[in-house]
Amino acid sequence: MGWLKKGKGLAITLGLTGTATALGLLFGEWQLHEANVVVLYILAVLLTARYTTGYVWGLVGGVLSVLLFNWFFTEPVSTLKVTDPSYLLTFLIMAITAVTTSTLTSRVKDSARRAQEKEQQTATMYRLTNLLSDAEDMDSIASIITQTVSDSFQCLAACLCFDQQGKAEKTYIQQKDEHAQIRRELREDLSRQMYALHQECSQGEEFYDWPIYGRSNILGVVRIPRETARNLTESNRKMLHAILETAAIAMDRLWISLAERQTREAVERERYRSNLLRSISHDLRTPLTGIMGMSEMLMDSLPEGENTYTMAADIYRDAEHILSLVQNILNLTRLQEGKLRLQRQMEPLEEVVGSAVAAISKRYPGRKVDITMPENLLMVPMDPRLIDQVLVNLLDNAQRHTPQDKELGIAVEEKGNFVQVRVYDRGCGIKPQDLPHIFEAFYTEKSACADAGSGVGLGLAICQSIVQAHGGTIIGQNRAGGGAEFIFTLPLEVEESE
Amino acid sequence: MNERQILIVEDDPQIRNFIQYTLKREGYSSLTAGTAQGAMSILVRERVDVVLLDLGLPDYDGLEVIHKLRQWWDGGILVVSARDQDREKAAALDAGADDYLTKPFSATELMARLRVTIRHLGRSSGTPQSCVLRTGQLTMDLDKRLVTLEGQPIHLTPMEYNLLQLLFRNLGKVLTTKTILNEIYGVGYGTDTQALRTLTAALRRRIEKTPAVPQYLITEIGVGYRLADLG
Repeated sequence: MGWLKKGKGLAITLGLTGTATALGLLFGEWQLHEANVVVLYILAVLLTARYTTGYVWGLVGGVLSVLLFNWFFTEPVSTLKVTDPSYLLTFLIMAITAVTTSTLTSRVKDSARRAQEKEQQTATMYRLTNLLSDAEDMDSIASIITQTVSDSFQCLAACLCFDQQGKAEKTYIQQKDEHAQIRRELREDLSRQMYALHQECSQGEEFYDWPIYGRSNILGVVRIPRETARNLTESNRKMLHAILETAAIAMDRLWISLAERQTREAVERERYRSNLLRSISHDLRTPLTGIMGMSEMLMDSLPEGENTYTMAADIYRDAEHILSLVQNILNLTRLQEGKLRLQRQMEPLEEVVGSAVAAISKRYPGRKVDITMPENLLMVPMDPRLIDQVLVNLLDNAQRHTPQDKELGIAVEEKGNFVQVRVYDRGCGIKPQDLPHIFEAFYTEKSACADAGSGVGLGLAICQSIVQAHGGTIIGQNRAGGGAEFIFTLPLEVEESE
Repeated sequence: MNERQILIVEDDPQIRNFIQYTLKREGYSSLTAGTAQGAMSILVRERVDVVLLDLGLPDYDGLEVIHKLRQWWDGGILVVSARDQDREKAAALDAGADDYLTKPFSATELMARLRVTIRHLGRSSGTPQSCVLRTGQLTMDLDKRLVTLEGQPIHLTPMEYNLLQLLFRNLGKVLTTKTILNEIYGVGYGTDTQALRTLTAALRRRIEKTPAVPQYLITEIGVGYRLADLG
């Protein structure tokens, strides 16, 4: 490259001064004045400066012109001596003119070149910004950057993107030729190397890598072949950095809008889901209200003990059963999606216990429930509606397995930094083969008591989910002397990290 | 004997029939509407004492209906809603509903709530009807500032007294936590529910035999409190 340039410069200088000499000799033949020859040489120097790079050739041309003029046109001809001393002045003026012209010309040319370069860069950046603002995903941004860098520096660049978590993607985009790009697998060692990449460019054996930094972390890497990278001029580097900056802004913008979209979608999904749950709960309960209300009214209008009365009572009980099933399924759905946001607040445990016992007493009139509560007011952080459900489920379960005249109770105890709630009965207990499975959803006992009724198979699973969501534990076991007990705990203090 | 007129606003025809039948049996006359708009047009034409309003109507949001109604209509509003909607219930009560029923409800519950709502009709909660208030074995003499349980005077702190008085004036009616806080502590303390929890717990220890199984001061979980009307 350098040699070629020098050769070209020399050729132009020699050619132009030579031509000027030839024309000068011709002018001599035509008896034209020497001044014309001087002007010819100055023209040659000007043209030399114009068509060569830098101002060296202009200077060489100037000196050469003086020498040639001396040699060919001043007396004695064919020597570098002069007889007439006034020629010395001519030489001096010629030399000064030549030097001035050549430096001026090369400067003008330089600024013209710079202006052109700048214009090109501006155009490139403009196009880049335009393209990037239309880009809708990371791949198209990477592709645009690769193309722009390749075009700007006449090389085959590549671009690797990082995901939102700051992990390198598995593939990257590589310019294959002027118009085509391919997607390449990122090698393991390369991937490691990318992570080590810090603020400035890293110089590899084949490629130089420049990181694209966003507001908070690395967004991508642009690689340029070593040969091109080494020959980048100062303005090229500036240009590259401008491209990287623009790329960073575009990538940041994309991630932000993606994150926004995800949040919006999540909110939308959440709303849809809660609407669905609400309408299910409404639509199922409405007919149940009718069934229960009307069967209750039938019971009121029929003499107790009659067949029709029993039927009405059965309808009522079944409807009630469906109702508790609906309630449990709704809660389980919410809990198992992990989406149930506990509406936790400090609540007196006694209110919730009272409410659950009242619900059981209403469901099973005449059922006596023993209650043991600590004297002082126990405020527990909880979602009262859900803990109420746990207590109702446990009490209902105990009631179904315990004859009316046997003990059934609930005991609350404060134990350091948690509270323990125990629901116990003197019923038929839990069969050993059932024990490991009692908290599984849809598990119904293999061998329940004769009149335990149908197990929902969900109640205990929900209890477990709710208690665990509160950061507590629940166990079920048989009591010495018969019957079963379920013990759950709730922490009295909750970290505010949620 | 009752010439009270009840408007049933419910989109489910079976429930409508059930309620209508129950009301008829108890001697109330009733009108029905399946939509909020239908209800509005009946209310402007007919004399209605209490509206039984389902919150899940097809055309309007229940809360919106209450807000609209309360701008020009001062009869009783008894809200009917599904469970799980504690916030909606509390919001409905704060918007001006008198009480609520949770689906599924029994005829007995419906009538009990309706009776309380009718009794409080046309009477703001601030004007007690007599100076000695009573429910079950619990009495409150406003003149003497004396509270007795089973004939024995019991001592209450001023705050407990105020709370009990507020509940007595709304005997049988549910009061939301927000309403109670505003009435007892004044507007602006609306979020300090914990103070109220402590206060109700303290009051329970004075008036209930077993605070965990209250007879008088009933908790409506997620909504508020009610002083049971035991006659």
